[in-house]
Amino acid sequence: MVTPMLAELGGSIHVGLAGLGSAIGVGLVGMKASEAVGRNPGAFGKIITIGLIGMAFSEAIVFYALFLVH
Amino acid sequence: MTSRIAVLSRIDFEVFYNWFIFPKKTLVKNFTMMQFRAHFGRALRLLNRWQRRFDLMRLINITILLLFLAGWPLAPLQAQTGAGTALAAAKAEPAEEGLPTAAQDIFSRGVFHVSNSMLVTWLVAIAIIVFAQYATRSMKDVPEGAQNFWEFLVEGLYNFLEEIVGADLVKKSFWFFATIFIFICFTNWCGLIPGVGTVGWGHDTPEGFKLTTPLFRGGNADLNMTFAMASIFMLLWLIWALQSNGIVGFVLHIFGPKGDSQGVMKYAMILVFLAVGLIEVMSIAFRPISLSFRLFGNMFAGENLLDAMSHVIQQPAWAKAVFSVVLPVPFYLMELLVGLVQAIVFMLLTAGFTSVICMHDEDAHARKQH
Repeated sequence: MVTPMLAELGGSIHVGLAGLGSAIGVGLVGMKASEAVGRNPGAFGKIITIGLIGMAFSEAIVFYALFLVH
Repeated sequence: MTSRIAVLSRIDFEVFYNWFIFPKKTLVKNFTMMQFRAHFGRALRLLNRWQRRFDLMRLINITILLLFLAGWPLAPLQAQTGAGTALAAAKAEPAEEGLPTAAQDIFSRGVFHVSNSMLVTWLVAIAIIVFAQYATRSMKDVPEGAQNFWEFLVEGLYNFLEEIVGADLVKKSFWFFATIFIFICFTNWCGLIPGVGTVGWGHDTPEGFKLTTPLFRGGNADLNMTFAMASIFMLLWLIWALQSNGIVGFVLHIFGPKGDSQGVMKYAMILVFLAVGLIEVMSIAFRPISLSFRLFGNMFAGENLLDAMSHVIQQPAWAKAVFSVVLPVPFYLMELLVGLVQAIVFMLLTAGFTSVICMHDEDAHARKQH
């Protein structure tokens, strides 16, 4: 059952997996950033910078999967 | 009699000349040699003064010029291999949807190619240079307008980088990181101007006009450009690393054991850190690839997204007309943010790599004191 399913998959499953991973990563960064702002609202400016950079790193995984893997 | 006629005719000529050829007499009058020298002499003195004071600005301009010349030699390579083997497979498939991964040539003669991304890169570089020269043309102690903008940008970047790479290294490497940031940010934003990617050559299809070769394409949506920038950085990284560590220190920094261990453990640690060094070398070798693909992927995906969003609704003609304009708007705002963030990320990563390899001496110093 599993083997024919896997055989049918092919194509760009790596992009899907990378998208899944980076989505989880972006979600984690957002969650922790909002927690940090909740704890220390004064540091909003610094937290949003670090959060955006973290999100950008996490997001880049999809582009590696899209353009580097064939 | 004759002299009178001569005088008259001369007056006539002057009247004619001043009224019809040069309506403004002052223009002719003012152009004496003395005034010429006074004007241009002052300009030259000013030029000298602010060139001495603002060497930094000029260095940034020169670096931008070099950067966009650096993309040039790679263009014929791209024409032959289709932007490297990594993208060859993507190009082989007939692209039904979306944009082509490689930038197309808009002008080519022999080995001389100009792609649409190169055109945008040049235009942006020229625009930055002209804007910077205009802003620093007459410097004031209390800045305003364009000069204020540049001072804010350069000072902000300087303070930001000083925190990351340290006070000594920032003096040596600021020109590169600031150029990278300013150039990438402006190039990304210029890719969002309406007309980039939508004006160009194409052909008629049953569904309507189909654009195949746009005249402009975002500068960083071309792998040649981003890879050129990443390669230049790796070269500079090597130079700075060797300058601050020396060759032996550089090798020790990568392969040498860290931490304090005694006896047999010391020799075991040497083996372990040799293996760690090999992994480190792999990660360093992957850096230009990850740097260039991160920027290229983000920018190219952004253009693709905007393109797709303007073609989502096709069926009723009025809905197509309305939604092809309305739907991309929120994504344009997101792309503004992405363009800025990617510029920061590129600068931050390059600065971080440089700081890690050059901080060795201070680390050892601190440990010794400890």
